[in-house]
Amino acid sequence: MTAPETPVSESSKLHPLSVAYRTVRQLSRIGFLVVLFFFGGTTATGDISALVAIGSTVALALAAVFVWQVAYYRRFEYEITGDTFDIRSGVVSRRNREIPLRRVQNVDVTENVVHRLLGIAQVNIETAGGNVSEANLRYVGADVAREIQRDVRRRKTELAGGEVDEKEEVVEDRGEKLYEISSGELLLLSTFSIDFRLVAFALFLLSFLPPERFETFESLSLSFGALPVVVIGFFVVLLLWLIGFVTSFSRYYGFVLRRIDDTLSYERGLFNRYSGSIPLDKIQTFTVYENVLKRHFDYATLGVETAGYSPSQARQQGSETAVPFAKRRRVDRLADEIDGVERPEFELPPRRARRRYAFRYALILGALAAALYAAQFFVSPPSWYLPLVALPLTPVAAHLKWRNRGYYLGKEYVATRNGFWNRTTVILPYYRVQNVIESSTILQRRWRLATVTVDTAGSSGLRANEARAVDVGFEDAERIREDVRDTLQEALAERRAERRRENETWLDTVARESPDARDDSDAQET
Amino acid sequence: MESLNPRIRTVWLVVAFVIAAVLSAVVGALPTEEYVDVPVAPFVFVAFLVLLGVYQFLRYRNWGYEIQDDAVYIEHGVLIHVKKVVPFVRIQHIDSRRGPVERASGLASLVIYTAGSRGADVTVPGLTPERADELREELRELAIENEESIEDAV
Repeated sequence: MTAPETPVSESSKLHPLSVAYRTVRQLSRIGFLVVLFFFGGTTATGDISALVAIGSTVALALAAVFVWQVAYYRRFEYEITGDTFDIRSGVVSRRNREIPLRRVQNVDVTENVVHRLLGIAQVNIETAGGNVSEANLRYVGADVAREIQRDVRRRKTELAGGEVDEKEEVVEDRGEKLYEISSGELLLLSTFSIDFRLVAFALFLLSFLPPERFETFESLSLSFGALPVVVIGFFVVLLLWLIGFVTSFSRYYGFVLRRIDDTLSYERGLFNRYSGSIPLDKIQTFTVYENVLKRHFDYATLGVETAGYSPSQARQQGSETAVPFAKRRRVDRLADEIDGVERPEFELPPRRARRRYAFRYALILGALAAALYAAQFFVSPPSWYLPLVALPLTPVAAHLKWRNRGYYLGKEYVATRNGFWNRTTVILPYYRVQNVIESSTILQRRWRLATVTVDTAGSSGLRANEARAVDVGFEDAERIREDVRDTLQEALAERRAERRRENETWLDTVARESPDARDDSDAQET
Repeated sequence: MESLNPRIRTVWLVVAFVIAAVLSAVVGALPTEEYVDVPVAPFVFVAFLVLLGVYQFLRYRNWGYEIQDDAVYIEHGVLIHVKKVVPFVRIQHIDSRRGPVERASGLASLVIYTAGSRGADVTVPGLTPERADELREELRELAIENEESIEDAV
């Protein structure tokens, strides 16, 4: 291996303050138990000796945790070498880990409020393998975190044979700014961030509360009977809306999306600052989110999904938000700018799917009425025929559900769309397809309908983020399955040829200079 | 389209038998009303056995797999019909596997892994050990052949 163009850094340690921070964090976790144990046992006696016991235990715990954390700090080293990110860690059992830089999907930096006061940050490095981050640096200095992010990106570019601008010092000033949230957009986004499914569910539950429950309100001279329910409903909706507003506002405050070489990089957050980078060639799918409100005002959200993330990391929506909020047309344009994504033109499922939904909704309402009717003999629930009042709405609901579905088989991209309340459009290039699954349940078969799932390595684990053409006709399902399969082969062949043309020169160089580096990458295909 | 080895039917029937036995034992242990004179358990047993037996029969009949020019094609399912296409290019690794029940019945299964989020692993049960190993070798070769010049599997 020849020396990389950027000088190799020394092995480094975490930020010294991380010892203090981790100590306090760990103590606050176990401290609760200690306090509970002692107060539970000694409130009866409550004498001085108990206090002494508590005090000394706390002191002992503090000392033990502190010593442990110092040891952790002293035994933790990381280093960016020419082609790997190495971590040597562990107090009792040692672990040496080398992560090939070319396999790195994302480098994320997280700072919460306390971190920011202390000037430290958490760095997570993700590759496609495994369920958890491959590397967790808790914690390094905030500036060091940015440096790591930049170094990894630069090394990756070098390893890919790209040119690196030597003068590049500050990441923030470089790169092409693709999108920055305006204060108007932020406010609108926060306003529209209410989860309608939650609202619908809450109101549905409320509708079952019998008015008698609110006698207290009536005694407050609100004798309209139904009014308190309405009032409560109003406050529930208001509360849900407020929660959505505050979460979105603090999450997307100061959102900036940049493109640096072949990487997207973003920063966001009011209290907790996040910054992450997404290599363009690791993007699996693009997702456009439009809830009812956004759709009405022609706004949308764009998310990208890479192979690195997993559900266990509890990321919102399981994917990275590339554009939190923008006019639909701008979202389309940005997707096009990022990866040449086509604007899909959707084909709707057959009309019998709509009949199926109407039928299904009517059946649900009927079952509900029947259940209430049966319950009459045991308790005194509200009138059993209440659910049937909603019957005229079923065709409307069925139509909306049907109208918002769809699939698109384009030249380079395949797309699916689902959902009325939160419409989700998943767009993916054919060459990302992992496998195709066609399924039809016994109920679907009655209507000669099937669902085709086009699976990618994006691992959010959320159904909404899967490309699913739901309730298409049997013939269409087969056509989709076969089309996707054939186009995948074509797209792969094309990509292969393209890469060969592009990379001929540097691949030869790499192969000549480090045969083992090639072997390594083959062995570790994700 | 290739079917599974018929012996798997026996295995599945035995499984059905065991499940039916357990369920009827549970029902039999429940306290019954005094006026119910007939023992319920045998009826429950027969009912479950018939139901599960039919299910397992259909399950066997609907199972099929085929190695096509660019992908493994799999069909199965009784209540939910599933058709899966796993392109050779996407195969990460392949296991042939023999659990205790499979060893007792002289069968094996094949597990194909991809990086997909939903169809991450695809299992073909009811193969003879020789067939499972043969398929594993064949798929391995096909996977390598197809992968050769691709930089990135994801």
